[in-house]
Amino acid sequence: MSGKLSFKGFCIILAALFTAILFIAIAFLFFVPSPQEIWKSMTSPEMIFSLKLSVITAAVSSAIVMLLGIPIGYALSRFSFFGKSIVKSVIDLPMAFPELVLGLSLLLFFGNTYVSRSFEIIGLKIVFTKLGIVVAQIFTALPYSTRIIYSAFEGVNRRYELVSRSLGYGEFETFTKITLPLAKKGLFASTIIAFARCMGAFGAVLILAGGSYMNTETLPIALYLNMSYGNLGMAITSGIVLIIVSFIAIAIFEKLEGLNAVKS
Amino acid sequence: MLLRVENLSLEFGEFKVESASFEVERGDYLIIIGPTGSGKTILLETIAGFHTPKQGRIYMGNEDITSLPPEKRGISMVYQDYMLFPNMNVYNNIAYGLRKKINNDGEVRKEVKHIAKVLDIKHLLYRNPTTLSGGEQQRVAIARALVVKPKILLMDEPFSSLDVKTREKMRKLVKDVMKEYETTVIQITHDFEDVFVLANKVVIMKNGKILQIGTPDDIFRKPTNEFIANFVSTNVLRCRAVGKKGNLSVLNCNGVTLYTPDKSHGSVIVSIRPEEIIVSPYKIFSSARNILKGKIIDVIRRGNLVWLTVDAGIKLRTVITPNSMELLGIEKNKDVYLIFKASCVKVIG
Repeated sequence: MSGKLSFKGFCIILAALFTAILFIAIAFLFFVPSPQEIWKSMTSPEMIFSLKLSVITAAVSSAIVMLLGIPIGYALSRFSFFGKSIVKSVIDLPMAFPELVLGLSLLLFFGNTYVSRSFEIIGLKIVFTKLGIVVAQIFTALPYSTRIIYSAFEGVNRRYELVSRSLGYGEFETFTKITLPLAKKGLFASTIIAFARCMGAFGAVLILAGGSYMNTETLPIALYLNMSYGNLGMAITSGIVLIIVSFIAIAIFEKLEGLNAVKS
Repeated sequence: MLLRVENLSLEFGEFKVESASFEVERGDYLIIIGPTGSGKTILLETIAGFHTPKQGRIYMGNEDITSLPPEKRGISMVYQDYMLFPNMNVYNNIAYGLRKKINNDGEVRKEVKHIAKVLDIKHLLYRNPTTLSGGEQQRVAIARALVVKPKILLMDEPFSSLDVKTREKMRKLVKDVMKEYETTVIQITHDFEDVFVLANKVVIMKNGKILQIGTPDDIFRKPTNEFIANFVSTNVLRCRAVGKKGNLSVLNCNGVTLYTPDKSHGSVIVSIRPEEIIVSPYKIFSSARNILKGKIIDVIRRGNLVWLTVDAGIKLRTVITPNSMELLGIEKNKDVYLIFKASCVKVIG
């Protein structure tokens, strides 16, 4: 009995300790620099540029991620097709795959190949551009989102769809009228994760988009660049802004989800 | 002929159907009965168009519908767990299929109100389906499936998660509603009472194979193998309640008087399990209320049991061991007494 109790105590203390350290570390971010310094950095043109760039690219990327992730997640959940297990593992791969290596692979793929040339013909330049930021963010966030979308669809009993089909609705109508609304919660969660991942994407963005000052400088890259210049105030401020934006995003989505739940 | 299933085979997960063939006429109430895991549900889902068979064809009238998508078949489905859309209220659940067919809100409203009245769910129309009881959800699910006037209504164990009382009520209601809507029904069950009360055709399935097809009478009087005999062996009688004696009801079954503790009015269907009937060459005195004299008209040995059919004004099946048969000197045309307690006579419909 006492052995059990002390093990329970051990686990709880460990959990509490780790959480405390994490919170204190995050708090340091806010309290180490002086407020004036933060304010000065916050209003600097570089920071405003980074913030804008990050929010816009992350919003565009997470929208694309959801547009891609929903059909992919649905295919993986509902249909059996040739090579399904391969598709599944490819989607899982980047989770264990270092982001830097992902960026390098993307750079080589979009670099000086037929792919990049055919993109350039239609006026799209990916390497070392803002478009590159979006591409890198999509590849970073898609696996995470697809996973959540997949389990959201798995959570919808297939028989709802079958009943809808038998009542005269085709595959796509059934999907929009029954499956999507029933998977709503998971899709919201997936959007939040996608946005957070896109905001925080660093390694792949740095390599594919180049991380150049006031051009492809998203918030994580601003943090990195200022850190390496020894510009601690700017670096910390980037970190603070990143955290605030993430929290706001989560709050907005939860609010939206709450509103939706009330409506239905 | 409305629906013809021809030599249908498929596998889905751990369930399978092996060369199933049967036909359904317009207005039929066909019940597929069999133990759990016998492939009944996937057979139904294949008829609805949710699975592609590995082999075999399905015809609706003269049209081959084997590869027709479910939305084009005009076949509705009611599941055991109802599957009411949780993102819509009861009204919208019922109106869902109608809206696809009729582009007129007033018309839809009229149809929904009508079926809601028939199924006695008018007061539930603006409730959320998750707040309904099992019996209520069941009626909504049937309303939703029936309101589109399907060519065939499929029901997968529709009554199995209801309590006994609600189940009896639902059976009666379903019977009446199917008449009003002139619906052809294929229902799955593992409950024989459904067969007696509802079906005019029965399919017996086990391990993905159809063992016998026939009218309920065929199946119960002439089971073609031991599994069916054991599975369906209960005696089913149509009787009329004629009075009361103490707290027992007195039934008249084709001129024979039986006693039952179950409440009964008018015409009733009763079931007597064969193994609960005691067979004796002599009249014996006991506390059992039902004692009938009859002649053995059939003796069939199946496996390690002997099945007797005794004509005592009503035909009753009973089962004994070969040992007892020898001991009692049982043979065809011999007179015997059948003894069973009042509580063995169960009113099922």
